Amino acid sequence: MSLAKSPWIIHVNVNSCNGCDIEVVACLTPLYDAERFGVLNIGTPKQADIMVVTGSVNYKNVNVLKNIYNQIPDPKVVLAVGACASTGGIFHDCYNVVGGVDQVIPVDAYVPGCCPRPEAILDGVVAALSILENKKKGNIKGKEVKLKGKEVPSNA
Amino acid sequence: MNTNDILLAVLVLIGAPIIGCIASGIDRKITARLQGRVGPPLLQPYYDVKKLLSKDNMVVNPTQNFYVIVYLVFIVLSLLMLVFKQDFLMIIFVYTVASLALIVGGMSTGSPYARVGSSREIMAILSYEPVLILYALAIYLLTGTFKLTAVLDASSPMLMYTPLIFIAMIVVLNIKLKKSPFDYSTSHHGHQELVKGMTTEYGGPGFATIEIAHFYEYVFLTGLIFLFWASNPIIGVLLGIIAYLLIIVIDNITARVYWQWMLKLSWSVLLIISIVNIAFLYVSGVQLA
Amino acid sequence: MIENTVMLLIIVPILFSLLFVALPKSLYKYLAWAFFIIGVALSVNLVLDGTGVVQIGEPNFAMFENIVLILEVLIILFILAVSAKYKNWPTLGLGIVSAALFAYTFTNVPGVEGASLNIDQFSQIMILIVNIVGTAIILFATGYMDEYEEHRHLNRQKIFYFTMSFFLGAMNGLVMADTLGWLFLFWELTTLCSFVLISYNMDEEGINNGFRALALNLVGGIALSIGIILLATKYEISTLSGIGTYAGTDAAAMATVALPVALLCIGGFAKSAQMPFQSWLLGAMVAPTPVSALLHSSTMVNAGVFLVVKLVPAFAGSSLGTAIAVYGSFTFVMCSALALSQRNAKRVLAYSTIANLGLIIASAGIGTPLAVAAAIMLILFHAISKALLFLCTGEIEHTIGSRDIEDMSGLINKAPLLTTLAALGMVSMLLPPFGVLLTKWVSMEAASSNPVVIVFLVLGSALTTVYYAKWLGTILSSSMDKNAVPHKKPETYFPLSFLGLAIVVTSIFVFSIYNYFIKPQVEILLKTAPVISGQAGQFTSEIGAFAYAAIFVVLALAVLIYLATKNMFTPRTSSYYMCGENNLEKDRLMFRNGLCSYEKSSVSNIYLQNTFGESKLTTLGYAISIILIVIALAGGVGL
Repeated sequence: MSLAKSPWIIHVNVNSCNGCDIEVVACLTPLYDAERFGVLNIGTPKQADIMVVTGSVNYKNVNVLKNIYNQIPDPKVVLAVGACASTGGIFHDCYNVVGGVDQVIPVDAYVPGCCPRPEAILDGVVAALSILENKKKGNIKGKEVKLKGKEVPSNA
Repeated sequence: MNTNDILLAVLVLIGAPIIGCIASGIDRKITARLQGRVGPPLLQPYYDVKKLLSKDNMVVNPTQNFYVIVYLVFIVLSLLMLVFKQDFLMIIFVYTVASLALIVGGMSTGSPYARVGSSREIMAILSYEPVLILYALAIYLLTGTFKLTAVLDASSPMLMYTPLIFIAMIVVLNIKLKKSPFDYSTSHHGHQELVKGMTTEYGGPGFATIEIAHFYEYVFLTGLIFLFWASNPIIGVLLGIIAYLLIIVIDNITARVYWQWMLKLSWSVLLIISIVNIAFLYVSGVQLA
Repeated sequence: MIENTVMLLIIVPILFSLLFVALPKSLYKYLAWAFFIIGVALSVNLVLDGTGVVQIGEPNFAMFENIVLILEVLIILFILAVSAKYKNWPTLGLGIVSAALFAYTFTNVPGVEGASLNIDQFSQIMILIVNIVGTAIILFATGYMDEYEEHRHLNRQKIFYFTMSFFLGAMNGLVMADTLGWLFLFWELTTLCSFVLISYNMDEEGINNGFRALALNLVGGIALSIGIILLATKYEISTLSGIGTYAGTDAAAMATVALPVALLCIGGFAKSAQMPFQSWLLGAMVAPTPVSALLHSSTMVNAGVFLVVKLVPAFAGSSLGTAIAVYGSFTFVMCSALALSQRNAKRVLAYSTIANLGLIIASAGIGTPLAVAAAIMLILFHAISKALLFLCTGEIEHTIGSRDIEDMSGLINKAPLLTTLAALGMVSMLLPPFGVLLTKWVSMEAASSNPVVIVFLVLGSALTTVYYAKWLGTILSSSMDKNAVPHKKPETYFPLSFLGLAIVVTSIFVFSIYNYFIKPQVEILLKTAPVISGQAGQFTSEIGAFAYAAIFVVLALAVLIYLATKNMFTPRTSSYYMCGENNLEKDRLMFRNGLCSYEKSSVSNIYLQNTFGESKLTTLGYAISIILIVIALAGGVGL
């Protein structure tokens, strides 16, 4: 149970409209107080356990997402927060959008909604905890996601 | 080295991190309450360390963990020397090794965030080191020796003769614990400026080592405050606790300052009041009975 | 046979200097190795011979005295000639004053019947430093100078090695001479060697700085010779040890000789580049690194503090002593502050050297047995550490092509052994359990009875920690690019490793060194020895204890824990956190900008130029240090 009692999250915004970000930050406010569960919003991937991703992935930040994912030590889980992160949302067929987060890195839990309520996000974090424990028990490592080189369109 | 000494050493080695862990938990609890939150469980720092030890050892370069081990063992050594009433000036130098090891550890990762954090922490050394050594000097002037035996055996408290140094030491404690308003090199909690400062590239067991060292450091630093009223251990411990709680409150009610501001504060106010106190001790020639 | 060793110590370096001139460049390597081995053998032999006074009486004395006279005339003629040639009028003026003083000495001062060389423990330490560290530096030079000259299109190695070896001979003479006239000769010889070596590049900057060094050292030399004349004419003292015997520890006698002693000390201050004279040592940094290492950190500048420490019995506990202590500690804090603002590694080292010499002078000025012991120990430890640091800086410069501290980041990846040695040198300068810190600790404890001195020492000590910590962190920071290729020559890496080893060994055996050399010496100087015991790996004085053994054990423990846990916890490496914008193809320290191109992130240390910059502090330093010297002199005259 060592992991479940102290989940530290890193919040990654890939092309989000900031709606979900505000809700993620709201989780830390006195009203919801995610720290009750030991949740800390940590700045560096090196110390994080749960990667909270908001927004749909576009070509410019796909490498950013992969880099940060690769820099989180195992065991780790990815939580896609919001409709965009889950599926691409209303941006899914934009010219510059790759799609949901699961198109790029393996996602363990989804929190739907536009925007999801803080309760829903906390629920997602709590759901991620058991996955985290299972990964530790099964010694399941996140695969190193390879960067494809120039993900950026050539005209950029 | 007799059996009692070894027992005491073992007690310190095991007891200090427990006390430090609870102190850190109290810090987070009080901080949460001051912000109107419920806050984490009291043993949250312990859970954190336990979790960090179960994570992968991810490093930028393998040697970076060497420096945090040096940091840990030298903090432990300085605490042990404090407990065994060694030369106080020596303790400060040993403690400097620990501080420098963490700084070099941050620098050695090569990350720009860690290097900025480390540069700022070096400036922190510039602000607190003179005050610490002047504190040692005050002990010498009051007892005629740098060894702590005399302070701990004295029947009257040192605070009577060193009130200004006590004030300076409270600020030093604030700087050393990296609490607001001086938390610019690395910070606890979720403050994310400079990512995590010096400790940006540390994760898993390496970061757990830093946390454990911080537990020892809490005890060591409050131990320095304890010395001000060592004649009565209960009051001394109370003094240490009050100082620690005061730091937590200050942490919550102040905003971060520039490091330049801290340097100015230290070299104008803290140094001057310490030197005034030292001058008083020279002129009056009082001795701790 | 101490006489033979003493003679050999002066003759062998001179012989080698001639060999360097006679033999071709290709043999220098072997010559330097031979010189190193002979230097080590001779100096160890001297230590084994024990202490003693070598008297030189008739009939040899007349011959030696004539040699001394001729050499002194030659020195003065040389100074006059070069300063006239380069039209450097201040130096010419000072040369003329020196000549006048020499003429006065020759005509008016009664001659001495015999000369003596006094080999005490302090001289032994200095001989060890000069002949082991010094020859190691010459060995380093053989692996260094070719490339140095190649960059600058020079071909002056013959004169370089000649002067370097000759200097060692002069230095050996200086630390053994007891007769003041001879001491003065060797003193001027080292000044001259320094001038030749500083202006080695023969460009305008080098020559200007060479003349500055010459002029400032001449000022010191003039003070020294006035002091010697006063001693000889007024008190009939012609030997260094005679001053101590005359003054004893008697306050009244001290007061009478205070003026000449103060003048001799000013000579020492100039040689050690203390505050108003510091500009010559900074200018001397234009010389090749081996010169900086040999003359301007570990040996020649030590001549000044050597003299001051030898004069301790003449001012210990007097008001002159207090003035010297305040002056030395002031230089310590001022130069530490100035070092903080420097980016150029050699300038940092230069300021650090001046600061540490200031600390030695402060300790000597305090004059208690504990403080004098600290001063002598600091001379030893500082010489080794500083020589290593200078040589490392030189080698770093050849490896990465820069001596700017900021360019040294990532050095650990480029040249691991070199960086480790440099880091060892820096750590030994500022952290326990190494010798320099131990002596700093001793001098702080000794100084705690003098409020002004101790406050200066406290501030200086904090500043020292800061400027070395910056540099240490920078060279140890890792980077991903490995462009520079270290040149691993045995001639350069052997002296570096040897000095590194010497730091560790001397620090471990610090108490044996104390017992064998320093304790008897302090007894000679002050008639009492400091109350220090060395049980259980502790360096215990009456007011404190320095547990160096415990720290070595803990350090070893840290290494063991590191090695044991290195492969635990599933080790993995990853790149830095750069907000995910890492450029994995090229240098990883790059951020991507809004146009999707990469820009290198640059981080620099904090130098506090606006507070501790040279332009802010130097004038203040000049003013206060001159005032302090005037106070010392005034105290000497008894005003």
